[in-house]
Amino acid sequence: MTDEVISTGSTKNQVSGSNPQPVVKKKRSLPGNPDPEAEVIALSPKTLMATNRFLCEICGKGFQRDQNLQLHRRGHNLPWKLKQRSSKEVRKRVYICPENGCVHNHPSRALGDLTGIKKHFCRKHGEKKWKCEKCSKRYAVQSDWKAHSKTCGTREYKCDCGTIFSRRDSFVTHRAYCDALAEETARIKAASHMENHAGHTNYHFSLGPSMGQRFTSIFEPISCNPQKINDPMTRSLTLWNMSQQPSQNQDILSKNFQEMHQMGISISSLGAVYSCTDPLVNPCASNPPAPTTTYQLNWDFTKNLNSTKASDDQLSCNSLPLSNINAKELGGSAPSLFSTQHQSHHQSSTANMSATALLQKAAEIGATTTDPSLLGNFGLKCTENPVQNAVTTRLGSDLSALNQLQMYPSMRHHIQNQENITEGETRDFLGVGIQSICHPSSINGWI
Amino acid sequence: MVQEKGSSSVSSSPLHLFSMMSLSPGLGSPFPSLQEMRSEDRGLFLIHLLIACANHVAAGNVENANIGLEYISHLASPDGDSMQRIAAYFIEALADRMLKGWTGLHKALNSTKITWMTEEILVQKLFFEFCPFLKLAYVITNQAILEAMEGEKVVHIIDLHSFEPAQWISLLQALSERPEGPPHLIITGINEQKVVLDQMAHRLSQEAETLDVPFQFNPIVSRLENLDVECLRVKSGEAVALSSVLQLHPLLAVDDEMLRRNSPMVNKSPNSVHFQGVLQLNPHTLGDFLDKDMINTYGASPDSESSSPLSLPIPPKMASFLNAISGLSPKLMVVTEQESNHNGFNLMERLMEALKFYAALFDGLESTAPRASIERQKIEKMLFGDEIKNIISCEGLDRKKRHEKLDKWIPRFELAGFAKVPLSYHVMMQAKRLLHSYNYDGYKIKVENGCFIICWHDQPLFSASAWRFRRYS
Repeated sequence: MTDEVISTGSTKNQVSGSNPQPVVKKKRSLPGNPDPEAEVIALSPKTLMATNRFLCEICGKGFQRDQNLQLHRRGHNLPWKLKQRSSKEVRKRVYICPENGCVHNHPSRALGDLTGIKKHFCRKHGEKKWKCEKCSKRYAVQSDWKAHSKTCGTREYKCDCGTIFSRRDSFVTHRAYCDALAEETARIKAASHMENHAGHTNYHFSLGPSMGQRFTSIFEPISCNPQKINDPMTRSLTLWNMSQQPSQNQDILSKNFQEMHQMGISISSLGAVYSCTDPLVNPCASNPPAPTTTYQLNWDFTKNLNSTKASDDQLSCNSLPLSNINAKELGGSAPSLFSTQHQSHHQSSTANMSATALLQKAAEIGATTTDPSLLGNFGLKCTENPVQNAVTTRLGSDLSALNQLQMYPSMRHHIQNQENITEGETRDFLGVGIQSICHPSSINGWI
Repeated sequence: MVQEKGSSSVSSSPLHLFSMMSLSPGLGSPFPSLQEMRSEDRGLFLIHLLIACANHVAAGNVENANIGLEYISHLASPDGDSMQRIAAYFIEALADRMLKGWTGLHKALNSTKITWMTEEILVQKLFFEFCPFLKLAYVITNQAILEAMEGEKVVHIIDLHSFEPAQWISLLQALSERPEGPPHLIITGINEQKVVLDQMAHRLSQEAETLDVPFQFNPIVSRLENLDVECLRVKSGEAVALSSVLQLHPLLAVDDEMLRRNSPMVNKSPNSVHFQGVLQLNPHTLGDFLDKDMINTYGASPDSESSSPLSLPIPPKMASFLNAISGLSPKLMVVTEQESNHNGFNLMERLMEALKFYAALFDGLESTAPRASIERQKIEKMLFGDEIKNIISCEGLDRKKRHEKLDKWIPRFELAGFAKVPLSYHVMMQAKRLLHSYNYDGYKIKVENGCFIICWHDQPLFSASAWRFRRYS
C-alpha cells in the first residue's frame, strides 16, 4: 500500500508544475486528464528540450518565451494589421511525453502545460545534472535543484536514530514508529541507570511545582520532569531549558490553585486563562531514548526514500500512507491531546516488584489447591498458613524453611527439620515454624 | 514475640488455627518483623492472604474472614507499593461485602455519606491527566470519526459521557483542517452534572469560534439508562457518530439472583450456558432480537469459562439502549471498554480477574506518579477503589461495574444490528504517536481483528472497537 501511494503522490507532484512544494489550497484536478477537446501535440525530445521555441516570422529569431517574442516583434514596426495575432481561437494544446512506456505518453494522460511536460521529461527520463552541494542529492531540473538548496540544512529534524527530515510531519511519523521499536533497548538502559533514591528526592522536590503543571501541562509548555536530567536517557535540550524555570512553575502553580478555587470545578476553564490553542499540546520536543543500531536496519527503507528522489515531496510521500486528512493534521500544529512534554515519570523501582509481576509469580508458585473450582488460574491453596510469628532476627534469613511449608499437616512434619525451630521459642502458636516470609527462591515448595 | 501455645495447636485444623490467633489479642504488635519483609515477599504474601480471605468471605466464614482481614490490614497500606495499595482496596471491598450481611449495620454506616460532586468531577479529570487510557480512547475515536465522516457536510456526534473538552477540541482542529473545509458539527453531550456540560459548552464553542467551524453543543443532563433518544434531536441527513468511553457496561446490570432462581432449566453450575430456559422465561424482555440465528451465534461464543449472568443474549437495559441507538442509524459508533471479565457470577472468579486487572492499572499509575501524590491517591481511592468495591461487594442491580471482554461485546453489537468497522492503520499511528509524545513506557496497543487492545505490558486493560449500523436482514 505504501508503494502505491508513493508513486501516485510523486507523479502528481512532479507533473503539477514548476513549484515542487505541494502546498496548494485550491483543489487541483487529477493531473494528466486533459480536456477532451484539446489538441494533442507530440513533440520529439529534441523539440521538447529546445530552448527557443518561439520564432519570429520576420527575422526567424528564436525565443524561449512567448512574451519575449512579442516584445521583439514590436521592434519590427509592423503595420497594424499584421500586428494582430491570428484571430481564430487558439485551440487548447496538451502535450504528451515522447518517452515510450511513460504514463503520459498516452493522449488520454496528456499534460496541459508545456513547461510541465518539459520538467516531467527531464525529471523522469533525463539525467540528473544538478547536484546539491550540502547533501548528495541530484536533480534533473534546475528549478528543483534551486528550490532544494534553499531549504537544504535550514530546518532539519533529526531523529535519534540518525535519519534527517526536512518536514515536520514525516519526522513525527517516523519517530512514532522509531520509538515503538526502541522501547526495549530503552528500558534495558533505564534499568541499568536506575537511581532510585536520588530519583525520588528529586522527584518529590519537583513534585510541588510540577503538580500544578499537571493541570496546565495541557495548556502550556512548562515544566518537564527535572528528574529526567538525572536519567542519562534524557537528551532533549528543551527539557533542559524547561527545568530551569522552577520559579515560573511556582507562579503558575499558585495561579492554578487560585483559579481553581475561584472557579470551583472549572478546571479546564484554566485553558481560557492561558489562552492556548491546543489544549493538550506540550510543544517541548520530546526525544526518544537513544536508539541502537537496530534502527538503522529497520529504517533503511525510509532512508532510501529520502535519498532517491529529489524533491521534498518524496518525504511527504513517506507520510502519505496516512490519509490526506491525516497528513493535514500532522502538517498543521500538533493536534490537541498530544503532548511532547515528558510527563513526570516516577521511576518504578526495580527494587519493588510490580503488582502484575507478583501476581504472575504467585500463579507460578501455586500448584495445587484445596478448592480448585474457586481459584481460577491462580491455583493457590486457599487455606494457607497465615502470618506466623517471626523472630526478628530470623526475618529475611532462613527461607529455606519456607520450602517445607505445605498444608498445615505437612508443616508439622517439617517443622522438626527446620533450623529455626531449634530453640523451640520460635514456634508460634500455630505450632509451626517462623516462616512468615516468602522467599523468592524457595517459594517453589511453598504450597 | 514468641507464642507458646504448645502442642495443642499442632493438631488443630486451619479453622481452629484462625480462632487460636484470635484468642491472643494481647500480643501487642505481633508483626514487628514484618516491617522488614522484603517488598516482594510481602507482596506474594499479600496475594495469598487475599485469596484465602476472599475464599472465606465467599463461603460465609465470617470469623476466619475477619482474621484474614486483620492480617492483611497490617501489611496493606494505601501509601505503600502497588501490591500494598491494591490489597488495601480489596480488603475494603471484602469488608464491605461482609458487612452487607448485616443490612442494618451497613445501612447505618453509609447513611451519612456525602458525595462531594466537585471531587468526583475532579477525579475524572485526574484520571484523564495521569493515565493515557482516556487520551488514547479520544484519539482513536477522533481519528475513526474523521475517517468515517470524510465528505460529510453535517456531522452529529453523541458523546455518552461528556466531561473533557480536550477530546472534542482535538476533533474540531482536525476538522477545520480538512481539505474540503469543516462540516457543520453538532455535539450532543450527555452527563449527569449540569455544571460539567456548561463548562464543555463554553469551552467548545469558544474553540469552534476561533477555528471558524460551524458548531452547536446540545447538553443533556441524564443518566444513560434513562436516556430518551428523542432528546438527542437527531435530524435526518445528519451523519451520526457515537462515542462511548467506558459507559456501556453499567447497562449490563441485571438482577442476577432473581433470574437465576426463576430460570427452570438453568443448570445451577455456574459454568453452564443454557438458552432455552431463559428465552422462554422472558420473551418480551429480549425484544426484537429473538431468533434462532442469534442463539446459534451466541452459542458459538468461544468464551465459556466464565459465567455471565444466565446467558441472556443481551440484558434488557442494554438491549433497549442498543435498540434506541440503532434507531438513529449511526454511521459510526466507537466503543471503549475495560478488557477484563469482572462480570462473573462467582465472587472468586471476579476477584481473580480484578486482581490482575487492577494490578496492572496500579502499576501503570505507579510509573507515572509518585507515591506521595495526592492526585494519585484520589484516583486510586475514588476511581479504582470504588470500582473494586462495586465489583467485589455489590450484587444484582447495584453492581454496575460489569466489565466484560471484547469477545462478549462483539456478539451483542452484532445482534443489535451493528457491523464492525476495523480500525485503520492511521488510527494506530495516531495512538502510537500519543503514547510516544507522552513517553508512556510500558503501554502497548495490540490489534485483534480490527479492534485495539490497550495493554500494560502484557495485561490487556482496555479495548476499543468501531461499529456502524446496518439494516439487519
